[in-house]
Amino acid sequence: MSDSSPSFLERHQFLIYRLFSLAGLIPIGAFVAVHLLTNASILAGDDGRTFQSRVDMIHSLGPLLVPIEWAFIFLPLLFHAAIGFVIIANGMPNVGSYSYVGNVRYTLQRATGMIAFAFIVWHIVQLHWLGKPFGGGQFDPHRAASTAAEALQPTLVAIFYAIGVLATVFHFSNGLWTLGITWGLWTSPAAMRRANVISIVIGVGLATAGLGALAGMRSIDVPRAREAETWAEKQKHALSGPGAAVAPVPIPNAH
Amino acid sequence: MIKAMEAVADLVTAGADDAAHGGSSRVIRVRVLRQDVAGGESYFERFEVPYEPNMNVISVLQKIAARARSQDGRRVAPVAWDCSCLEEVCGSCTMLINGRTRMACSALVDSLVSTDGDEIELRPMSKFPVVRDLVVDRRRVFRGLEKVKAWVPVEGSYDLGPGPRISPEDQEDAYPLTECMSCGCCLEACPQYMKIETVRRDDESESDFEKRRKAAFDSGFVGAHAISQAMLFNSHPTGRMIADERLEALTAKGGIQMCGNAQNCVAVCPKHIPLTRSIARAGRAATVWAIKRLFDR
Ligand code: HEM
Ligand code: SF4
Ligand code: SF4
Ligand code: FES
Repeated sequence: MSDSSPSFLERHQFLIYRLFSLAGLIPIGAFVAVHLLTNASILAGDDGRTFQSRVDMIHSLGPLLVPIEWAFIFLPLLFHAAIGFVIIANGMPNVGSYSYVGNVRYTLQRATGMIAFAFIVWHIVQLHWLGKPFGGGQFDPHRAASTAAEALQPTLVAIFYAIGVLATVFHFSNGLWTLGITWGLWTSPAAMRRANVISIVIGVGLATAGLGALAGMRSIDVPRAREAETWAEKQKHALSGPGAAVAPVPIPNAH
Repeated sequence: MIKAMEAVADLVTAGADDAAHGGSSRVIRVRVLRQDVAGGESYFERFEVPYEPNMNVISVLQKIAARARSQDGRRVAPVAWDCSCLEEVCGSCTMLINGRTRMACSALVDSLVSTDGDEIELRPMSKFPVVRDLVVDRRRVFRGLEKVKAWVPVEGSYDLGPGPRISPEDQEDAYPLTECMSCGCCLEACPQYMKIETVRRDDESESDFEKRRKAAFDSGFVGAHAISQAMLFNSHPTGRMIADERLEALTAKGGIQMCGNAQNCVAVCPKHIPLTRSIARAGRAATVWAIKRLFDR
């Protein structure tokens, strides 16, 4: 320890840690939940039409999407991750000596935070357009189902996704429980037990949605999804082009 | 003089050996992590003591001191340790027994042997500077209590009259928290509580060193025991008068935000104090207090 005056981080430690905690729930946690549930709409069994319409809804934000993504997803996530790494560096897990459930969860919270970070960076590079300069950015929002399905075909990729999704979901749902203690929402042991049940239900629900989406994306019929997407695109052009309402394009393979 | 002491020690040892070999020859093997001076190297030394029923770890240490010989018969300095009450109320005999923090006076050899086998390992607490062998410097435990003003402020030159009454329900709620004996088990087991050891520099005055050490203590996590005591005194009708000062301390650097909710503290506390309840209550009070301060400024 030197005599140097405390750093910015140290002077505002309480505030920063509380903002870190809040960021985990809103917006990051809320986004993750919505994201996984949106993806699970691939399970509707309509060659990705529902999924495509959800994606269209998000992309209807147009040029606003970029600032919204940065303000509500990327920057809060980078902030949470940066403080998360500081917290990890300042702790010393000791499950070897004290193997209580709470302590195992404490250690897993840190491990899954780091796995989530690695996974999210890779996931963004692979699918988001930000990853294009790095040879990624495979997801095309106009061809949502087919491009996602193609990206997820390799077995190794699917395994990474399963691990990444499970780690993130554990981190979020266990984090919900600790967040309630941090902010003082549940204080008695009995209340903590009840809150635990709720976070387990949320965790199992989101894990099911996430893994379901993964399996669903991998098992859709890519050529048929592509046909549906081509039709939808033509439809959009037809609707916005000259003489729009006159000649709707027939729906292929509809049954 | 030294010769005479050695002769006495030999007699005592011989007696102990006789006891060990006569009747039941069962021995308890003990491995102690020793350290001769503060800041020095640590090393393991093995000892043997004759088994007796109903021993606790303190009585094992007493036998080791009486014999003052290692397992291989070398004459060694007796192992140093701290204890006082011998009934788990003073909090001075905390050490790592078979790798876990607990009170030596209430650690019974019979139950240790039945769960972990015939060898007992003793180490000093790892989160506090070692003074010698199993004796550690726990001043930071008390600095934590000082930081959060864990007392009722009634100092004054005149009679303040009788204090306000406390309902039986509130008494019952508070009573478990009053049992804290500052043993530091909760801190030893906490993955967020890191060891802080400051060494006095040659050119430093005692008071400068004291200041620097306090600052170093205050930069680290204050600890579950202090959070719990702050909640105890914030629930007391007279203690509450400086509730804001305690919350200020609890939200300063090293305050409750350092807790990572591992809940080891509550699992190891020998007095079964509901520490995580206190931590969550402190979290709630800090939430309300921080919002109030934001708008009251
Ligand atoms: C997928 C995105 C993430 C979500 C939804 C998320 C959510 C959360 C939530 C809700 C908490 C609980 C906060 C509290 O107890 O007050 C939390 C805690 C934590 N997060 Fe994240 N997090 C995410 C990513 C990350 C990343 C990338 C890291 C960095 C490695 C990280 C590190 C941590 C750590 C260390 C804690 C524990 C803090 C403590 O208990 O003291 N998180 N997270
Ligand atoms: S809270 Fe429990 S473990 Fe911590 S110092 Fe007090 S008595 Fe010891
Ligand atoms: S709950 Fe907090 S104070 Fe208790 S052991 Fe865990 S991190 Fe430490
Ligand atoms: S000697 Fe007092 S608690 Fe063990």
